[in-house]
Amino acid sequence: MTMLSKATYGFHSLEKIAEGETIIHRLNPLTKTITTFLYVVLVVSFDRYSISGLLPFLFYPVVFMSLGEIPLKPLLSRLAIALPFCIFAGAANVIFDQETMLTLLGVPISYGLVSLVSITLKAGLTVIAVLILIATTKMPAISRQLIRLKVPTIFVLLISMIYRYISVALEETINMYMAYSLRSPRSKGIKIKDMGSFVGQLLLRSFDRGERVYFAMKCRGFSGDYKYVPTPEPPALEWLYMISFTALAVILRLVNIPDLISSII
Amino acid sequence: MHMADALLSPPVGLAIAVVTIGAIAYSVNKIKKDESFDEKKIPIMAVSGAFIFAAQMINFTIPGTGSSGHIGGGILLAALLGPFPALLTMAAVLIIQCLFFADGGLLALGANIFNMGVIVSFISYPLIFKPIASKGLSPKRITLATIAAVVTGLQLGAFSVVLETMASDITELPFHVFLLLMQPIHLAIGLTEGVVTAAVLCFIYSMRPEIMEGALTNKSIESKSLKKVIIALVIFTILLAAGFSLFASSFPDGLEWAIGNITGGSEIEKSGTVYNISEKIQEMFAFMPDYSLKTNPEQGTSLAGIIGGTLTLMLAGITGVVINVMKKKKVAKR
Repeated sequence: MTMLSKATYGFHSLEKIAEGETIIHRLNPLTKTITTFLYVVLVVSFDRYSISGLLPFLFYPVVFMSLGEIPLKPLLSRLAIALPFCIFAGAANVIFDQETMLTLLGVPISYGLVSLVSITLKAGLTVIAVLILIATTKMPAISRQLIRLKVPTIFVLLISMIYRYISVALEETINMYMAYSLRSPRSKGIKIKDMGSFVGQLLLRSFDRGERVYFAMKCRGFSGDYKYVPTPEPPALEWLYMISFTALAVILRLVNIPDLISSII
Repeated sequence: MHMADALLSPPVGLAIAVVTIGAIAYSVNKIKKDESFDEKKIPIMAVSGAFIFAAQMINFTIPGTGSSGHIGGGILLAALLGPFPALLTMAAVLIIQCLFFADGGLLALGANIFNMGVIVSFISYPLIFKPIASKGLSPKRITLATIAAVVTGLQLGAFSVVLETMASDITELPFHVFLLLMQPIHLAIGLTEGVVTAAVLCFIYSMRPEIMEGALTNKSIESKSLKKVIIALVIFTILLAAGFSLFASSFPDGLEWAIGNITGGSEIEKSGTVYNISEKIQEMFAFMPDYSLKTNPEQGTSLAGIIGGTLTLMLAGITGVVINVMKKKKVAKR
């Protein structure tokens, strides 16, 4: 129950943030998607004992989150979802890889510990990158770009319609869940013997709703196509942004800035 | 079961993404060719996708254990919509989960759609669910088929997660320990999930039998052509993974070499031709070797690295503060 309402809340609050009008919001969605993907790939491409090389990549979330006016709170809840399994994989390294890598102020630090920190850092950075993308981009804009990239219409239609109907499905589920728990006091969740009819009923309702939605769409001239107002091509400035972002990110990937700083000192 | 980006290396993530895109393209093609498919099904697929999303959050209590579980929904969708529409729907749901709920990463999308969608639609539905269920629908058969299909789907999915993580060389966990951790947990999950999914399907069969009958009689998949597709998929995956990993292990070297040339670094002198060749050969046989080498440059410069790292962090923090202060000034001026 809490999970359902949390999801509804998170969904709406993200949509609200995406309505913003900052410099980051105005960037072309395609440009943003490409740069985000590049960023994720570069972060993940570090080997598992890197920490210092990853640190300069923190500039991206810091700069973009402040420029895009993205609050910190949704970030923390997203991290809570993504981190557990990463920490599990990293913690295994702490147990299985106890060879000392370096000694810091007399305290030996093992390879495993270093890789745990590295995995956690990577998980954090990649999650933030996707959050920045989605908190500054509206869903319809993404769908339009997908169509332009020649992704099959049926797939784009599916993504944008599922997105539209998630809040409806969540609301309906919450209502039924509420009704169920009012009639079954002191039960945590739904009893397994009731799941069949509970979920089955919900599914049948969604099928019926899907049919009604179809008729409504048909009335408005739906023929299986995705109709949209064409958006202009990305202007020259966007290309410049994309090239400089790529160049900067690749340089940061290849040159270890913290080591460079300390060698200068 | 959703994998995060930090658990995959770029070559592994990209290789599986290419396979997944192929499977999705294949499904779109199949749907387009299917004469019984009309645009009416699109809203139904979409609304059921949204529903699966919500249904994954309904916790049910598992009797006797005090713990709770939830359904995954792959087989449910496949049994009601047919395998190919189910794959598209599942993929769309996973994309939305990745973007809006941080469930699984962007680079990991391909792997997640593969583990939870492609495996269900291309293996456990046609090879297990369909043969059992199509011999005549009855609650008993539906239950048997569903449980068997859900358990295999989850076992294969969990196995695939293990393979992908190991190939990415993220964890020191020995292969067999990792397997022993993942498979039994997912067997338990699969059994409960299977029982619940079966109950849902039986309920729907008793209320509206035509939905499942329609999906089953769909002739768009024949086992003969499917076998070819699966074999092709497997070969393609192996080839791609090998290709990408070779590329990955030679790529950094190439870049280092280029940088060494530019800056005149001593990097090249260390690696003579013989050393280089033997390394190349070694790399050809080991799967993604470059990632676990413990000869890390950070080792020597540990303390220096920490000082530099702290400075970098401070710089990043200052940048954030400066941008925020400037923004506030701008707002105040207005």
